Amino acid sequence: MSEPVLYRFMAIVRYELLWNVRKKKVLGLLILVFSLATLSLALPVALSSIYDRPLSADPDHVINAGAFLGEVGFFLVAIVISMNSVSGEFESGTIVPLLSKPVSRTTIFVGKLCAALVTLSAAYALLFLYLAVGGTVVFGPQNNLDLVPVLFAGSIASTFVWVAIVMAIGSASKSSLTAALGAFGIWLGLSLVTGIYGAFSGETWILTYIPGGGATGYIAQASGGPFSGPAVRTGIASIADNLVTLVLHPSTVINFPQVDILAGVTRASAQFYTESISYVVMLSVIVAAVYIVVFSLIGWFALKRAQITE
Amino acid sequence: MSLAIETVDLTRRFGSRTAVDRLNLRVRKGTIHGFLGPNGAGKTTTIKILAGLLRADGGEARVLGEKVGTDNPRARQRMGYMPELPKFPKYLTGRELLDLYGRMYGIGKERLREMVPRLLGTVGLREREDSKIGEYSKGMQQRFGLAQALLDDPEVVILDEPTVGLDPVGMVEFRDIIKSVAGKGATVLLSSHLLYEVQQVCGEVTIIDRGVCLASGSPQELSSKLGRKATLELEVLNLTDPMVEEIRKMPSVEGAAREGAKLTIKLSTAEDARPQISRQVSAMGGVIVSMTQTGTGLEELFMQLVSESGKGEAR
Repeated sequence: MSEPVLYRFMAIVRYELLWNVRKKKVLGLLILVFSLATLSLALPVALSSIYDRPLSADPDHVINAGAFLGEVGFFLVAIVISMNSVSGEFESGTIVPLLSKPVSRTTIFVGKLCAALVTLSAAYALLFLYLAVGGTVVFGPQNNLDLVPVLFAGSIASTFVWVAIVMAIGSASKSSLTAALGAFGIWLGLSLVTGIYGAFSGETWILTYIPGGGATGYIAQASGGPFSGPAVRTGIASIADNLVTLVLHPSTVINFPQVDILAGVTRASAQFYTESISYVVMLSVIVAAVYIVVFSLIGWFALKRAQITE
Repeated sequence: MSLAIETVDLTRRFGSRTAVDRLNLRVRKGTIHGFLGPNGAGKTTTIKILAGLLRADGGEARVLGEKVGTDNPRARQRMGYMPELPKFPKYLTGRELLDLYGRMYGIGKERLREMVPRLLGTVGLREREDSKIGEYSKGMQQRFGLAQALLDDPEVVILDEPTVGLDPVGMVEFRDIIKSVAGKGATVLLSSHLLYEVQQVCGEVTIIDRGVCLASGSPQELSSKLGRKATLELEVLNLTDPMVEEIRKMPSVEGAAREGAKLTIKLSTAEDARPQISRQVSAMGGVIVSMTQTGTGLEELFMQLVSESGKGEAR
């Protein structure tokens, strides 16, 4: 009696997870993110010691640090997890016995994506636990620790956009190096092109639709100018931070300046547009979902069409 | 005739080069079928199409009646495939990987608990089942390749140059395993350039060159079709002229020449006449010390076919 499709699917997930763990990918990933987390916790302590200023309690440290990895961090984590997930199998030749097994290529691709999600979730769960405990130890009791799962979910979404992009390029090119460099090229190229276009046209909103930091706005304040409040970024890398802002301050409004390079100045306070935090969050989540779906489909299609010619 | 593997006008091109050219391969169920050809003949390309790793540009291929495609798991469900020089994830142990591959076949955990050690034992890897595959030698990886091809007792086993990298003992063991698999009713398609190996285990062969099928059938059938005649060389104690005279009168004998204790018999067919000759010599008091048949071996056939194919191409 043959076992159902889910059983075979779980075999693919297990195959990938075991491979990930044994290849020390996860170890490398943990070293990377925990080094950054330790730095974020230890730096204030070190600076206070160097400048001989007592370290004051900061009950909002953990929640303010938020998804501290940032767009570069998310990108690097995604690269570590997924750069050779599909392409590495082609490069090493292990794809041949795998593809000759009676599982569909769709199952293989989705299984690999799920394994990447599980690996990522495990790493981030440990990371945020470490940050919550470390933040409490270094900066005293923390507020809003119940929002840590929100940071976790937002960080997963932000990173998974890059996982999908890297796996798509890897499946299409069958080269891990091309997957990593291609994803970096997309990030750099789109950031530059849209950044320059946004700056010259004054239409900075376009940055929201690329897989990066997004457009920069400022939380509207009751007093002061339109850009005097804390900065907020609209891109997919800021989903976690913006989600926390949405939960804590749902009525937040953000002012976005319209830059005009040709005029040589940031336009006067009248030249801005506003968006609510809920709209910013919704838009960035939709953009992330679209990227994940589109690039996953590209990766799936590439694997589905792949042939072993060598 | 029930076929396990059938290709009809199978064609595959790589740019301007036609690797497989309207190939009609027919492998009967329950046979060990040799798939022969010189390097670049199109054997591996054909096998990759059968294993779902390559798409055909024309024609079609079926395994157990199921049309083969690049993503048709049903076609692969009853088939085991061992690629040439297989590569496996180095960071998994033999037992782990065989278990995972078994799950991909949908084999339940209970059956796997029995099947995985048994298969690893069959290929001589039981003692290394908990070693990582990266620590396996080339020959051990070949053995593992055979084990994973035998998961779920497949009805069709496709082996692409399975003994490359094996030592002589390993080659003999492989041949025994292949015979035992076929003995249980499976069909084996064995691609090899080792003609001796194919002759040892295959009842039928298909010879291809430049992607074209040159001949298919049992070695005897092919010899007859090609008009080949066998020659027997014997060394006989108590060999006498009357004995030689009697042998000359036998129906399939064209001529016989004696040189001391050595007797050379030219036959009029490619059929195996050794039993009849042996009986005749014994009946007349002769004792056969050695007897060799030449002229109908796979090697001679292969060389004749490939050489004629080359001449045809040159013309």
